[in-house]
Amino acid sequence: MQYRQIAVIGGKGPGPGQFAASLRGIAVDAAGSVYAANDSQITLFEAGGRLRRRWSTSQPVHSVAVAGDGAVYAGQIGQIEIFDGGGKLLRTWRDEALLGRVTAIGFFAGDVLAGDAVGRAIRRFDSGGKFRNNIGRDNPLNGLLIPNGMVDFGVDAHGVVHAANPGKHRVERYTPAGELLGHIGHFHGTNPAGFGGCCNPTNVAVRDRIYVTEKAGPRAKVYSFSGELEAVVAADVFDANCKNMSVAVDRGGRVYVADTVKLAIFVFEPVAI
Amino acid sequence: MMWGRLAACCGLVGRPLTAILAVLVLSTSLPAQTIPYQRPVDTAPQEKTIGGGYQTPPVQKPLPRSSWLQLLDVAVLAAAMGISSWLVLKRRSRKALVALAIGSVAYFGFYREGCICPIGSIQNVAVALTDPRYSIPMVVTATFFLPLVMAIFFGRAFCGGVCALGAMQELVLLKPVQVPRRLDRALGLLKYAYLGLVLFFALKPAAARDFVICRFDPFVGFFRRTGAPHMLLIGGAFLLAGMFIGRPYCRYLCPYGGLLAWCTRLARRGVTITPDKELDCGLCADACPYGAIENMRAVRRNCLYCARCYAACPRDGELARAKAQLVQLP
Amino acid sequence: MTEHFTRRDLFHKAARGTVLATLGGGAGFLVKKAHGQVVWQVDASRCLNSRLGEVGVPACNLCTTECVVSLSAVRAVNEHSRCGRCNICPAYFNITSAVDERGLPSEKLCPRDAITRRPIGKADPEDPANNFYEYLIDEEKCDGCGKCVIQCKEPLGLGSIVLRIRYNRCVDCNRCAISRACPKGALVQVPVERAVS
Repeated sequence: MQYRQIAVIGGKGPGPGQFAASLRGIAVDAAGSVYAANDSQITLFEAGGRLRRRWSTSQPVHSVAVAGDGAVYAGQIGQIEIFDGGGKLLRTWRDEALLGRVTAIGFFAGDVLAGDAVGRAIRRFDSGGKFRNNIGRDNPLNGLLIPNGMVDFGVDAHGVVHAANPGKHRVERYTPAGELLGHIGHFHGTNPAGFGGCCNPTNVAVRDRIYVTEKAGPRAKVYSFSGELEAVVAADVFDANCKNMSVAVDRGGRVYVADTVKLAIFVFEPVAI
Repeated sequence: MMWGRLAACCGLVGRPLTAILAVLVLSTSLPAQTIPYQRPVDTAPQEKTIGGGYQTPPVQKPLPRSSWLQLLDVAVLAAAMGISSWLVLKRRSRKALVALAIGSVAYFGFYREGCICPIGSIQNVAVALTDPRYSIPMVVTATFFLPLVMAIFFGRAFCGGVCALGAMQELVLLKPVQVPRRLDRALGLLKYAYLGLVLFFALKPAAARDFVICRFDPFVGFFRRTGAPHMLLIGGAFLLAGMFIGRPYCRYLCPYGGLLAWCTRLARRGVTITPDKELDCGLCADACPYGAIENMRAVRRNCLYCARCYAACPRDGELARAKAQLVQLP
Repeated sequence: MTEHFTRRDLFHKAARGTVLATLGGGAGFLVKKAHGQVVWQVDASRCLNSRLGEVGVPACNLCTTECVVSLSAVRAVNEHSRCGRCNICPAYFNITSAVDERGLPSEKLCPRDAITRRPIGKADPEDPANNFYEYLIDEEKCDGCGKCVIQCKEPLGLGSIVLRIRYNRCVDCNRCAISRACPKGALVQVPVERAVS
């Protein structure tokens, strides 16, 4: 499978659709609109890349996700702010202990999963915000090894949580209750099928495949659930100093990658060979 | 005689020239930097995360040479100069002086690796006097001024077996060849030219400042047991030359020697050839490899405190004392 | 030589006094201005091997080749509290070398074998990838070549390894020979208190 770049959304600058200093998370909803967690704002783009709306959050945002009902969850330090599609703040979940730095948010069956980089765990809450259980914290033993300071995961249609464990060069599979099912991936310095460097993959997204991004030799790749490399989405287009590039996939299999240095969202489309 | 006068005039000119150079040069210095190495978010795992009772090892921060040891260096310098002048002027013992020279090569040379030395300190003092943003520790000031003060009273006691460079040359001088007087005096002017050059490069603005004495020190490569090829070659050349020509660096190139020679003009004490005691044999003049005895009189500013004159004199020094033993007949 | 106090003697005495006074004045001025020792240090935000942004350049080893001391006074220093303790450290391993049966790169990076690696914390005997590892640099072996420093630099590593001048080895030259050669002007002079704090 191959991918070609079809769009670049955003960019670095002071303009209306641009990002000032950081681009830490992206999400795509069912309609294909792109949500960007940048600086202290959530920026909403249409499917074609046109800016639709932008609103401020009370703190710098580290992640963004869109629930089935259209609510926008913005992960921050110590809290998650929940907005409606128009940008109005609905509620705030505040928990210094469990939500140290929320770097990823996912949903399954009414539950909200939040990746906490300080606690090195994925926290599972019910829809009301009550804590249920941890995923990945000490199973096994040292849990999620994240020297990059970011917990990222994706939830597939069956509820399996695919969490990036960069220190181990793996993407691990957990049940929502926290049980470790297995992992894909291995280290390799030169073979693109492996994860290179010290701590890769940094970010994960899941739809019907596993999409990962790496740093230091930045690239985005696609794996099957059994762990076979299916495609290298892109490599050279990203700035060499990128780290923790957020990745998202939409219904049509288009891949969105957030370049953290150029502060732009690259959009790639699968091409039938 | 003419050369002597010329040399004296150059010496007289050297000082105001230095002052003019100093006044003309503007200087800035390298800004002192803080060295934090910041990263936006510190994400490394800490002891709590690692668990298992692990303790992060402390990062070593070795300290430089303690200030007490630096003070000791200055004390040793002062003591060595005192001993040098006593050995030469009072004891008049060449053997003891050679022992002192060996000791100096060992301490100031191989142990301290030739650093900090009064010769190089000319540069530091010159910059410190002219650049408001540059200052030197007291130890360096002491290292510069002590031998000069000593020279004002006793002459070049520093040169005699204390200076590591001089001691090195002193120890390799095997077969001294007398340099013709006029040539000797003419070459002696090179000292002041080198001094001017040294000051020119040292008094440049901070970024362009060049400490040439340090860069072209002939023997520091040996003292450090490592060095650039050109340094070792220069050192080797000086040693080779120094086997036959007495202390070529000291007499013709040492910028500090130029300052010491100046100060020695004011000295009351020093090597003396007493007219009513001398035999007019000329053995001392033949023995002196440094051209410091002229017309049966000591030229103190060229005297490098080697005590060879006393060693050769039938009336003074060890030889005389030894002979005195022999002639004690009943 | 007569015993009379001649004009020459007076001149000499006066000159001596003047010169002594001048020297004293100069020394006094310098002492008043004196400060503590100033030492050279490598500024990690300028050093080619550790400053952010430079990618794809080979490690700069001028610190090793230019230092006048026989084994350079510069060492790679791992600031442990900033180290990621990764299983596969790009400064320890040569990560482009072939992977052995344990899943680790087969070659080490340091040409003088100065880095040691050991598991720390709660160790998992079955799964070595599940551990934290401590990386110690032996300063007797390290010569400051910078290979590990540039591998540890962000984004590949966390930048915990930097080049530092070790003052028990540095001679504290007036003009550091490395500073003359450094292409980024990373060698700076700082007060010794700041350098060792």
